[in-house]
Amino acid sequence: MSCNCNEEHVNPLIPEIVVIKKMRVDTQDVTTFRVTKPGGGKPFEHMPGQCAMISVPPLGEAIFSITSSPTEKNFMEFSVKRCGEVTEYLHSLEVGSEIGVRGPYGNNFPVDDVLKGKDLLFIGGGIGLAPIRSVINYVMDNREDYGKVDILYGSRTPGDLVQSEDIFENWPSRPNTKVHLTVDHETEGWDGHVGFVPNYIKEIEFSTDKVALICGPPIMIKYSLQTLLEIGFKKEQIYTTLELKMKCGIGKCGRCNIGDKYVCKDGPVFRCDEIDELPDEY
Amino acid sequence: MDKITQKIRETAKLALENGEVEKIIGWTKGDTFDDSHPVFITDEDKADSLIWDSFCVNNVSKYLIKELKQSNKVGVFLKGCDSLGFNQLIVDNRIDRTKVVVYGISCPGMIDPEKVKNEGLNKGLKSVKRSGDEIIFITSEVEKKLSSKDFEFDKCLKCRHPNPVVYDQLMTDALEEREVDLEARFKDVEDLEALSNDERSAYWKNQFSKCIRCNACRNICPACSCVKCIFDNTKAEVSGKAKADTEEQFYHIIRAYHVAGRCVECGECSRVCPAGIPLHKLNSKIIKDLNGLYGEHEAGLDSSVEAPIGMFKLDDCDSFSKQGGGKK
Amino acid sequence: MMKKISKSQFSQLFSNIDKSYQLFLPVELDGKVNFDLWQEGDKVNIEKLKTNISPKSFIFPQSETYMKFKRDGKKLKIDNVSGKKEDYVIFGVRHCDASSFKLLDNVFLEEPVDRLYEQRREKGTIVTMACFEPEENCFCTSFGIKPQTAPIEVDVTTWDLGESILWQSQTQKGEALTEKLNDILEDAANQDKAELNSLQESTKGKVKELPLAKLDPTKITGELKDLFDSEIWQELSERCLGCGSCTFVCPTCHCYDVSDFKGDAQTGERFRCWDSCMFSDFTLMAHGNIRKTQKERVRQRFMHKLVYYPNNHEGVYACVGCGRCVEKCPVHLDIVKVIKKLGGE
Repeated sequence: MSCNCNEEHVNPLIPEIVVIKKMRVDTQDVTTFRVTKPGGGKPFEHMPGQCAMISVPPLGEAIFSITSSPTEKNFMEFSVKRCGEVTEYLHSLEVGSEIGVRGPYGNNFPVDDVLKGKDLLFIGGGIGLAPIRSVINYVMDNREDYGKVDILYGSRTPGDLVQSEDIFENWPSRPNTKVHLTVDHETEGWDGHVGFVPNYIKEIEFSTDKVALICGPPIMIKYSLQTLLEIGFKKEQIYTTLELKMKCGIGKCGRCNIGDKYVCKDGPVFRCDEIDELPDEY
Repeated sequence: MDKITQKIRETAKLALENGEVEKIIGWTKGDTFDDSHPVFITDEDKADSLIWDSFCVNNVSKYLIKELKQSNKVGVFLKGCDSLGFNQLIVDNRIDRTKVVVYGISCPGMIDPEKVKNEGLNKGLKSVKRSGDEIIFITSEVEKKLSSKDFEFDKCLKCRHPNPVVYDQLMTDALEEREVDLEARFKDVEDLEALSNDERSAYWKNQFSKCIRCNACRNICPACSCVKCIFDNTKAEVSGKAKADTEEQFYHIIRAYHVAGRCVECGECSRVCPAGIPLHKLNSKIIKDLNGLYGEHEAGLDSSVEAPIGMFKLDDCDSFSKQGGGKK
Repeated sequence: MMKKISKSQFSQLFSNIDKSYQLFLPVELDGKVNFDLWQEGDKVNIEKLKTNISPKSFIFPQSETYMKFKRDGKKLKIDNVSGKKEDYVIFGVRHCDASSFKLLDNVFLEEPVDRLYEQRREKGTIVTMACFEPEENCFCTSFGIKPQTAPIEVDVTTWDLGESILWQSQTQKGEALTEKLNDILEDAANQDKAELNSLQESTKGKVKELPLAKLDPTKITGELKDLFDSEIWQELSERCLGCGSCTFVCPTCHCYDVSDFKGDAQTGERFRCWDSCMFSDFTLMAHGNIRKTQKERVRQRFMHKLVYYPNNHEGVYACVGCGRCVEKCPVHLDIVKVIKKLGGE
C-alpha cells in the first residue's frame, strides 16, 4: 500500500487554489469564468470533454465541464449557469477572487483517435455548448487533423446563446467550418434561423458520413438523436455527455452511477450505443 | 390458524372483492420467527398472505400518506398504538379520514425478538404462538411455554391503549383489558429527573454520541411527516453531519421539540434505532412537562382535539410571521 | 508459529498492546456490544458474534473533517487536515467484517487513492477472532467466507478454545504486533492444534445446518438490464421507509457525502460523512432526481451489491453475509430476501 516515491501524497479531495481572472457575462444566467493559478498558468492539464470540481467554501462544490480547449496554454475556463446555491455564489464573486478547483475528472471525447480525419457535426443547446466548445477549439487549433466541421447551436432566445465571440466571429471565420445558429421562437432583432434544434438538423440535410457530438438539455438530446437516426446516422457515430449529481468526482462516493458505470469516471462522454447498454435509469 | 388471522383474511378478501377498498395494508410473514412485515394487497387472491401474530409491530398508518395519492380508498389494519398514530396523522392534515377504512385489532402486546435472542431461544426456532398470557416457542425438537411478560417489548408492558381508539370494523371480539400502571408511564423520566444537571447532561451526551444519523427514528415516527424535513434542507443550516461539537445532539433535541404535543408514545423510535438509543425517554419528558404546563393532553386519542402547542390560528400574535401580529 | 494465551491473562495482554498501540475491542455497554477504546475495567465481550455497529468506522468514519478553509477578502486559504496518526489495533473482528475491509479497499485504494482511507488502513493492525457457533442470521459462507478460518490478508487471527485463545500472525504487521507480546504469548501445543482442527471441522457441519445455508448469489443469473427491469423491485420497495439503517450498519456500504461546515463567516471545515442511497435526496439535482421513488432507490442498493460491484470487481459481491441488515431493518427488507427473489437459493 505505501509506495517509495518522494511525492507528497495529497488527498484527491483537496482542491487547488485558483484566481478568477475574467468573468464574461454570456447571458442573463450564464457567466464564463477564466481562472489561473495565483502565480499564473493552468492548475492542471486536461482533454476535451473532461470536467473539474469547483470549490466555493462554505457553499460546497459542484462539477462543471472545462469549456476551454487544452490547447489554451495559459488559463482554464468554465461556463456556469446560475441554478443553485454554489452557482449563485460563484456568480456573486468578482475578478480577483480565489476559488478552489480539482480535476480533471472523467473521460474525454476521442479527439486523438476516432475523431481524427473525420467530418464532424457538433450539436449544442443552451449551456450544453460548454463541453463541446473545448472540443471545437481543440479541433480548430489542430485544423489539419480533422475534416469538414459543422456546428449547429441553438437556444431558447438570442439572449441565451453563449460564447458570442466564438459563434459569431471566431468559428465562422475558420476554414471548412460552418456555423448554423437557431433560436426556438421568433424574436425581435433576430434575423437568423428560427426553430428547434432537432428540426433544424433535418432541414440542413447533413450527409451521414460524420461523427456527431451532441450536448444540451436531455430533451434536446433525445430528439436530436432521434432525428440523426432518422436521417441515417448510426448510434456508433454519435457521442454525448451525461450529467448526474456528483460529490467526489473520483468514483468512490457511489452517487453518480447508472448501472455499473460511474458518470464521473466512465463518463461523462458516452457513445450512444454504449448508453443503450445502460439500464433505463436516466 | 387462529381466529383473528382468519377474520383478517376474510375481511380483506371481501373488501377487495366488493370494491369497498382499492388496497389493503396489513402484515405478512417472512422466513424467520420474528419477520412479520407490512404488505400491500390489491388482489383478493393475495388476501391469504395476511397474518396476525405477536410480531406485527409495524404501524402501517404512515404509508397512507403515499398510498392515498394513488388510491381513493385504502384499508388498514391497526392496533391500539397504531390508531393513535393514525389519528395524529389526521390532525396533522396528512391523511384524509374519509378515504380510509380502519380495521381495528385489540393487541395483547408484541414480542421483542431481542429478548427472545437474549435467552438463546431463537436457535432452531420455527414459530412462536401466543396463548393468553403465555408464549409457546416451537422448535423442531421441543415446545416451550413461557410467560409473555418476560418477552414483550418494554413499551408494551406499559401499554395504556391496547384497543384501537378509532375503527370502522373490529377484528377481535373482546377488548383487551390491561392493568394500567399509571406510575409506570413516566418512571423513566423521573429516574432521569432525579439526576443532577451534569449527570443528566453526561447521560444524553453519551447516548447521542452513539447516533449514526440514519434517520430511522424520524422515518418511522407518525408525528414526523413534513413534506420536506428541515434536516434535509441544507439551506436551513440546521444540524449537519460534521463531527463538530454538538451537531448530533441537536438533531434529536430539535426533532423532539418538533413533535412535542404530537408524540403518541408508540415507542417505535427507540425500537428501530440501530444504535439502541432510548429516544422515547426524551419525548416522554416533553410530554410530562407539557401535561404539567398546559393540562393533560394525549396526542392521537381524539382526532378532533387540538394539541396544546404546534397549532396556530391566523390571528395569533407572533412576531415572526408576515401574517401574524394580531394582539401583541 | 501458532501462539496461545490464557483468557485469565487478557488484562495483561490488552495492557501490553495498549503500550504501543491504541487498542479497540468489543466492549459491552447497556446491553450492546461495540468496538471501543480499551480501558482497564471494560467489560470485554468476545462471545457476542456481531458488534452492533460494524468496524468499518475505523477505516471509513461516520464523519471526517479533511480540510479547513478561511476566506480573507478575495483570498482563500485551504489547509489539509491530516488523517489518522496513531497506530492502532482492532481486536476481535469477525471474518465477515474483516472481509468487508477488502471490499472497501477495492474502492478506496483504486486510483486516485483516497489518502485518508489509506492512512487509516496502514495504521491499523487487524486481529480477527473466528466463529465456531454461527448464528441464525449468518450467511457469510454464501460469499466464500469461512467463519472458522480467517481470510489470508488479516494481520493476526485468533481462535477461542474456551479457557484460552490461539494466536497466529499472518502478515508483517501481525508479526510486528506478535513480537511485542512475546513475553506473554506461549507457543501452542500439538493438542491445542488438534482441538482447533476438531472445532473447525464441527463448525463446517454447523454452517450447513443454518437456515440460510442454501443462499447462493451465484445462482442469480440474467443480464443486468433484465434484473434491473424485474418486477420484484416494486413489491420489495413498497414498505421501505427510506431510513438509512441498512446502509449505515452494513460493513460494505461506502457511499459518502461531502459538505461544508461553517464555523463563522470566514472560516469553516469541509468534511465527508456517510450518506445513503436510500435517502430521497441522494441523487437530487437542481434539474430533478433520476431516482424519484423508493423503488428506484431500493433497486439501486441491491443491484449495486449483487450486480454492479461484481461487474466492476471481478465477480466479488459487495456483501459479507453478516446479517446486520436482517436484524436492523424496521420492516424486514434485507439482502436475503432480495437474493431469494432473484433466484439465488
